[in-house]
Amino acid sequence: MIRALKVREHEEFPGVYVVDFEDGSSKLATINLAPGIKVYGEQLVSIGGKEYRIWNPYRSKLAGAIYKGLKTNPIKPGTKVLYLGVASGTTPSHVSDIIGPSGVLYGVEFAPRVMREFIEKVAVHRSNVIPLLADARFPSKYAHFVEAVDVIYADIAQPFQSKYVADNADMFLKKGGWIMMAIKAMSIDVTKAPSETYKREMDELERRGYKVKESLHLEPYDEAHAFVVAQKL
Amino acid sequence: MAKAYLLLNPLAVYLLDEGGEAKTFYKLYRDDISRERYLELLYDMEQGKLPEEILEFIARSVEPGDELVVEDSDLGRFISSKLKDVKVVPAAGNEVMLKARENIANLIETSLGVSAQKYYSLLHELTLQLTRLKVKEVAEKRDLFVAQAINALDDVNKTINLFASRVREWYSLHFPELDELVDEHEDYFRIVSNIGFRDKITKEKLLEIGLKEDLAEKIANAAKSSMGADLTEFDLEAIRLISDTGLRLYAVRRSLERYIDEAMYEVAPNIRGLVGSLLGARLISLAGGLDKLAKLPASTIQVLGAEKALFRALRYGAKPPKHGVIFQHPLIHKSPKWQRGKIARALAAKLAIAARIDAFSGEYRADELREDLEKRVEEIKTLYAKPPAKPEKTTKARKGGKHHKGGRR
Ligand SMILES: C[S@@+](CC[C@H](N)C(=O)[O-])C[C@H]1O[C@@H](n2cnc3c(N)ncnc32)[C@H](O)[C@@H]1O
Repeated sequence: MIRALKVREHEEFPGVYVVDFEDGSSKLATINLAPGIKVYGEQLVSIGGKEYRIWNPYRSKLAGAIYKGLKTNPIKPGTKVLYLGVASGTTPSHVSDIIGPSGVLYGVEFAPRVMREFIEKVAVHRSNVIPLLADARFPSKYAHFVEAVDVIYADIAQPFQSKYVADNADMFLKKGGWIMMAIKAMSIDVTKAPSETYKREMDELERRGYKVKESLHLEPYDEAHAFVVAQKL
Repeated sequence: MAKAYLLLNPLAVYLLDEGGEAKTFYKLYRDDISRERYLELLYDMEQGKLPEEILEFIARSVEPGDELVVEDSDLGRFISSKLKDVKVVPAAGNEVMLKARENIANLIETSLGVSAQKYYSLLHELTLQLTRLKVKEVAEKRDLFVAQAINALDDVNKTINLFASRVREWYSLHFPELDELVDEHEDYFRIVSNIGFRDKITKEKLLEIGLKEDLAEKIANAAKSSMGADLTEFDLEAIRLISDTGLRLYAVRRSLERYIDEAMYEVAPNIRGLVGSLLGARLISLAGGLDKLAKLPASTIQVLGAEKALFRALRYGAKPPKHGVIFQHPLIHKSPKWQRGKIARALAAKLAIAARIDAFSGEYRADELREDLEKRVEEIKTLYAKPPAKPEKTTKARKGGKHHKGGRR
């Protein structure tokens, strides 16, 4: 295995780190909030008494977006995040690392099987994670557990995702807060070309009063997704 | 006429005025209710139901003719059906509630005296427990499906064996030497279905359908010098009807195994983690469901599937069986005979724990159970390394015994 030499904090994004390896390569990483525990087989490296989890852009769309030059990342230490579609926790675990003990991640997922994995691999080891088995299309069903948040991160691969994300944002997103959303081209509407689907989803966000600030494609890390950042004005 | 906003939180229910200030609240988190009751209450709240005490609190706090703003429409309907005087207005995503949500930790602290730190750790703990319960509930109804699937798998295996014997006997009229050479039923079916006539059987074709080099060589040679009768296209077609079905059954078997494995992950992750999906599903099926399995003492789990032998023992005073289907676990059947009873007892004890966790709390502890078991087995292996002084007559019977002809796992 190639040895890690040093680590520095990402220039723009607090809580995100860059690890330099002895072969000259650099990789994104986050400080492991649950030391010793891996979530998806990621590499763990210890430098200066801290354990870092290497953040794989091929497995996590948020890492992919950062590698592709994302300009705004509102997820920082202390941020409160409502995460729709946590699945088994790949990206959510890194978000949990970044926000740290003073942040909170409300994690919504409706498939019991993956929720079970999420609980045992992520939620039990991280006290900043609140697991919610619920359908993101019906935010009023979990409203009593959720406080107002700074960021809504959505990756639910549903048709008309923007509508549901906006419904959630109406209820839970603070003024000035951010929406980060992965749009899946194929599953949203197979009959439309990807760019058309992306546009439709972004238009819907704007129509609902959320200003799209940034959008990017994730290839080569992910062929089928675009990533969008929008703000509640 | 005034408007009140109903803000629900796991720790308390608040009524807010139009400025988002809490006018009054009802405390849910109290020392005098048990955790079970509390979780039940939270669960009901999600289903759009409120307990009597909260309805009474609302009735007390809202003047007749006042409007009550409720975010969830199911809950709204429930309240209007119970409190006829209250005018319920459903409105998700309103500014008033959002504002209150920004300050929720403060509100909790001032109204209940629960610090923010304590609030978040309670929330973490509660949602963890509640979500586990909900996951388990979804899975619970699936245990009988898994039981049926494992029985179907047994049916498929029996049918495969039946068809394999038929095809072997039938095709042996044409190529009698093949039966001895090919152990795996699936390989045999492939040769019949995908190659067919004996004189078409070459080493290349055999390799193509996935046979090992040396076996392919032997079969090809045997084909050249076979003593079997000739076969017409017409006869071969008939044999293939059954052989093709055999191959399809193998595909069915693999799909069923995948299904059982996936389903077991939800239904009984601890049992699955301890003994694997198939044996686990078999135990659930024999017990008649996960709940029933969880209620059995370890001594019964140990002999599940050996009911006939147990019955004989009780009735005729024969020796009671040491193990039922758990014999299928390699820790047992790969151990020397005199250790098996003890290992079976240790395994059954862990299985009883795993079944109870799966049925009641749902957390994942299989890794630690497995480690404990392995430790115990190591102990047994050192303590009872040698056969007992008076060896039973049958001690050497197993060694080098006949191996099953293919097919079965
Ligand atoms: C692509 S995966 C998310 C991967 C995850 N965000 C990550 O990067 O690690 C999408 C998940 O959303 C879940 N999902 C889809 N529709 C949902 C809904 N309406 N409510 C909650 N979860 C949903 C699916 O079950 C699936 O686990």
